Amino acid sequence: MEVIKNFINMIADPKILFNIVVLGYLIVFPPFKFFQTIHDRLHVSFLWTKKGGIAIFSFLFFVFAFGLFDQNFRLIVLKPDNLPIVALIFLVAFFLWLAMTQAAENDAAIAAGGKPKEWAESREKVLVFPDLVYIEFICLIAAAALLAVWAIALPAPLEGPANPTVSPNPSKAPWYFLGLQEMLVYFDPWLAGVMFPTAILVGFMCIPYVDRNRKGLGYYTYNERRTAINIFMFYWLVLWVFLIIVGTFLRGPNWNFFGPFEYWDHHKLIALNNINLAELFWMIGLKQGMPTNIFLRELPGFLIIGAYFGLLPAILAKTVFKGLYERMGTVRYSIFAVLFLLALLLPIKMYLRWLFNIKYIIAIPEFFFNI
Amino acid sequence: MPPQLPPESHYDPKKLGMIFAIVTIILLLSLIGIFVKDYAREWKGYQRDFRTQEVEKARVKKDAELKELAKNEEYQGVLKDLETAKKNQKAKESSIQAVNRQIFAAEAVSKRHTQQIQFAKAEYDSLKYQYESAASHKSSNAPKLKERLDKLSAKIEDLRLKVENDNKLVKEKTAQLKDLEKDSKELEKKRMAATKKLEILDRKLKRIDIAEMSAANQFADMVRDLPIIELANPNYKIRQIVVKDIPEDVNFMKIQRVDRCTTCHLGIDNPDFKSAAQPFRSHPNLELFMDKNSPHPMQAFACTTCHGGRGRATDFISAAHTPQNEEQKKEWQKKYHWEPLAHWENPMLPATMTQAGCFKCHSGQEVVKGAEKLNLGIALIERAGCYNCHVIDKFKDWPKSGPTLEYIASKTTKEWAYHWIENPRAIRPDTWMPQYFHQSNNSDPASVKRSEQEINSIVHFLFANSKPFEAKPVAFTGDAVKGKELVASVGCMGCHKVDIKKEENRDRNSLNREFGPNLIGLGNKTSQAWLFDWLKDPKRYHPGTRMPNFRLSDQEAADIAAYLIQDKSPVVDKPIPGIDEKVLDTIVSDFLQKSDTVANANDKLKSMKKDEKLLFAGQRLIREYGCFSCHNIAGFENEKPIGVELTNEGSKSVDRLDFGFVHIDHHSKIAWFNQKLKDPRSFDHGKVVKPLDRLKMPNFYLSDQETEAIATALMGFVKDRPNDNKLTGNSAKAKFINDGQTIIRQFNCQGCHTIEGDGGSIQTSVNDWLMNFEGKTADEAKALLAAYSPPDLISEGAKVQAQWLYEFIHNPETKIRPWLKVRMPTYGLDNSRINALVKYFNYLDDEEFPFTEMYHPSMTKEEFKAAEHLMSAEAFDCAKCHVFGQSMPHGTPDSWGPDLMQAKRLKPEWVAEWIKNPPAIKPGTKMPTFFDPNDFDNAGPADILNGDENLHIKALRDYLMTISADPSQYNPHEAAK
Repeated sequence: MEVIKNFINMIADPKILFNIVVLGYLIVFPPFKFFQTIHDRLHVSFLWTKKGGIAIFSFLFFVFAFGLFDQNFRLIVLKPDNLPIVALIFLVAFFLWLAMTQAAENDAAIAAGGKPKEWAESREKVLVFPDLVYIEFICLIAAAALLAVWAIALPAPLEGPANPTVSPNPSKAPWYFLGLQEMLVYFDPWLAGVMFPTAILVGFMCIPYVDRNRKGLGYYTYNERRTAINIFMFYWLVLWVFLIIVGTFLRGPNWNFFGPFEYWDHHKLIALNNINLAELFWMIGLKQGMPTNIFLRELPGFLIIGAYFGLLPAILAKTVFKGLYERMGTVRYSIFAVLFLLALLLPIKMYLRWLFNIKYIIAIPEFFFNI
Repeated sequence: MPPQLPPESHYDPKKLGMIFAIVTIILLLSLIGIFVKDYAREWKGYQRDFRTQEVEKARVKKDAELKELAKNEEYQGVLKDLETAKKNQKAKESSIQAVNRQIFAAEAVSKRHTQQIQFAKAEYDSLKYQYESAASHKSSNAPKLKERLDKLSAKIEDLRLKVENDNKLVKEKTAQLKDLEKDSKELEKKRMAATKKLEILDRKLKRIDIAEMSAANQFADMVRDLPIIELANPNYKIRQIVVKDIPEDVNFMKIQRVDRCTTCHLGIDNPDFKSAAQPFRSHPNLELFMDKNSPHPMQAFACTTCHGGRGRATDFISAAHTPQNEEQKKEWQKKYHWEPLAHWENPMLPATMTQAGCFKCHSGQEVVKGAEKLNLGIALIERAGCYNCHVIDKFKDWPKSGPTLEYIASKTTKEWAYHWIENPRAIRPDTWMPQYFHQSNNSDPASVKRSEQEINSIVHFLFANSKPFEAKPVAFTGDAVKGKELVASVGCMGCHKVDIKKEENRDRNSLNREFGPNLIGLGNKTSQAWLFDWLKDPKRYHPGTRMPNFRLSDQEAADIAAYLIQDKSPVVDKPIPGIDEKVLDTIVSDFLQKSDTVANANDKLKSMKKDEKLLFAGQRLIREYGCFSCHNIAGFENEKPIGVELTNEGSKSVDRLDFGFVHIDHHSKIAWFNQKLKDPRSFDHGKVVKPLDRLKMPNFYLSDQETEAIATALMGFVKDRPNDNKLTGNSAKAKFINDGQTIIRQFNCQGCHTIEGDGGSIQTSVNDWLMNFEGKTADEAKALLAAYSPPDLISEGAKVQAQWLYEFIHNPETKIRPWLKVRMPTYGLDNSRINALVKYFNYLDDEEFPFTEMYHPSMTKEEFKAAEHLMSAEAFDCAKCHVFGQSMPHGTPDSWGPDLMQAKRLKPEWVAEWIKNPPAIKPGTKMPTFFDPNDFDNAGPADILNGDENLHIKALRDYLMTISADPSQYNPHEAAK
């Protein structure tokens, strides 16, 4: 048991876990042929059936049941504050399964030359009563009852009087912001706290203008909207939900990582020897002192960032996103590419941190400008 | 395929209706659940239980009262009389009724007339205004108005007269009625007086006992606690006490203390619930707490002021109850699912440590009466000298605990010093010198090697820096046997012991006798010459010492030195390890690298000679371990204490205490303190620490009981203070008393004297001396003990004159009890300290400042003669017990009294009070009461001074003051005739 737990603790290290999750994502939502082959070989599409659903939930229940035998796991998972995140895991899994199962059915029907299930009703008219309003009302009442029962069963966890000299360790954001808080580990606060949230909101606003594909309107499908769903799923599942789970269950005192079966020891120390790209370039690469001129010093960073946003969209347009570029036209493609690359910065920065201990690509603390 | 028509709905409306109904019912149930949860509070159950118990107790009391009344003959008589009186009254019924009617009629008339007056007055005021206005405007109708005004005035006068007559009539008739009903009314009053208690119980029962209520009240009783309606005036409600002046400190802000503990602890101030089960049990000490008339009434102090915990809570766990031991913890876990309340920094003190709560307000007192554990903790801190390394406000400017090391080379040997530092308890099992070496974080072989060289360095430094001191040579050969007796009798044992055993259960009293070192093993510690010199004048060797001068003769000092030098410690003769330069180098290098570059440190190390290394390491180690905190060491005069400040240790957040890898359930301050005191280095367990970064606190080898006492004191050192008016020791008087108490603690006066009922520790050794050297049996020794012990200083301030007290403390050569072997030594206190003591004794006895001046009695011849007679053997025979200068009384010292030729030191008022009634001043005194306080006027001889007892006392007093001021006036032989 100890060996298994230690193994799980070991792979819970985000350096490993993130790769596993990304790999899992690539296999489940394959963007390339290579992964498609693996996807087919592993019969992943089995997940999007009733039996698959049972399998998913059995697995989740097993994981929790196994974990609950461990005191440290219990301590974190059963904390009343963390109930929403536990629920989130199950709910996300359920709705993902629900949507994908229906999409799989429709895709099968379309492949057989038929129409999706919702096709007819989504053409002529939309069912409002009781299908929308009544159901919504029932859900409203059910949700109200749920909140009441929840409040009775698990009273709000109140803490002691605020003490300006003692900050709780770890100090965590509300659960829905834990993904953002996780970004703070990799980015300067003005980026992680201001720029990226703004970009996310702007990005949402842009979606209807960027993605004008009418396929999949009013019915579930995966095959007809692969690119869109794949991109969305990466950001939603890997960069949002996964980071919330990491932030809740795996980030302990001093914002250190702890395995799910590890005791949250306040004294745990982890070496954080991070360096800036400029230091890597000048001091380690060229073995010389740092230039005194700020811009010269940060030139490698500027070049890389410049190339990332200036050259990369063009290169992508000629290669991977060739079809996309042709369909969308220059303006829409540019907007899409910038948003896409901006979001991609997060995993890139994560990898840079883990592989090269890179703190900032551009670091000008003199002007509080760090990327 | 034609497009399929979509269905009207995917859902079956009936099914949906069902789901809707179910969900709605669930919502309704959950809303009811909210109400139930909100309504069914833990404390309501307790309040219901309490009511039942209260009713039961009231019923029992009522029954007892009824039985009592049934047995009470007087009461039964009253009842009988009442009956006959009522019968008699019936005969007068018709006349009573007639008078009643007359009163009624007269009152009606009077009321009518009074009303008429009121109306007329109102009219008069209005008319007055009209007239005044008209007159000032010279209006034509002014005279007319004046006329009406006068008429009205006359009418009012007339009515007044009528009312007066009416009232007179009413009064008369009422008196008449009273007279008719007199007998029965009086008896009724008597009955009421007899049944007063019963009446109160009855009223109480009617209020709380449903069975005794009227139907309407029964209904109201039920309804008032129903949900929602209960907001008006429920039976069961949260009770809270808002405490003034003792705010709660919630980090940078003070808020009012609100305690709701009495919501469940309902019987806390009710003596009826003395043995009830919790939570209703009354406070175990109602005389001191909770009761209205106690010094800590409930409404003014509430609960969390002393006990800590969360006062606003109304359930068991959120009140932050703390179990007092494992057993209780388990019981609570079972009963209440107890767990420590997270996020609350001041959980309740466990019942065993509640006394910590006293310190918050009583920090200005050296001893808090009744808080024995806290007192022991403070006394232990004092004796162990914790305050030397840890700043504690209470012990500001206290003297250093250890002896001076400035002249150590003249006092002892390097071998002794080495063994002493290494393991002081091997030489003296009960020493207060703590142990730094062979601890849990420096006992591995490498550390032991290092420790050896560390000790060598320290010893080397101390001896190399020792200043020269020449002990005067002993001119006398001492007699060890005599020396032993002197040590046992002269007073050494007030502060010292000569005992190889460690005291098992140290208490405050035994701690007094550990004030100075245990005098064993001196044979190979020091020389006879040094001892002789020290005994003759301790201040010569160490001007700051608290060891007083016993004014020993050369022979006495030599005898004592000869005795003490006999005992040797076998440990000291063991060889000490030599200097290991390799190990020494690492020590020196560690210190050098702390303050210099590695290269420089290495260069420096290479250039140093062995001697220099030892000196350097020794000096740094003394600073590192803080030796200078307790000992005077040349060159360390301006160093700061090395420990953490403890003034507010009890308020420290648990997060700031490092538990390391020591496994302690439920991290709490108390657990940490206990662990730290038991094994100060234990929080290094399992850590990789460099020698200089290790924990340094030395081990005092305290018992469990002692660690708990110290932990109690530490828990009491809190930052939240009450407002000034609740702080004891805030008045000038309290301040003077505290100053005196501090000096008394600092110089261990209570080692010999009983002061404020505390101390007199020397008595055990006086008892030993009587048995071992005077050949008394245990019973004899017991009888003689008080006579041979230093006096109890009760009422000293009222007793002796301030000037005399000052002079006596300054130079205590006057012998008031010449038979005593114990000597009052000379402390060489400075002016301010002696004055502080004089003020202390006087303020303690409520003597006014400035204190009484010297008294110059003037006596008539008659008074003088009368006094002589009263003192003679024919009357009070004072010389039978009291010493008179050179003339000693007969019998054994257990009946002897102080020298009356020293009476001039006394305050005249006190002498008079003392002669009048000695036990009132000192309960249990052996001084006879010559003037019976119960029959004072006939107590003295009738034939002297007109038989006036007050004059007798005055004459005696003045006589004593006269003869002691001028001994030529007195002839003991004549007086004795």
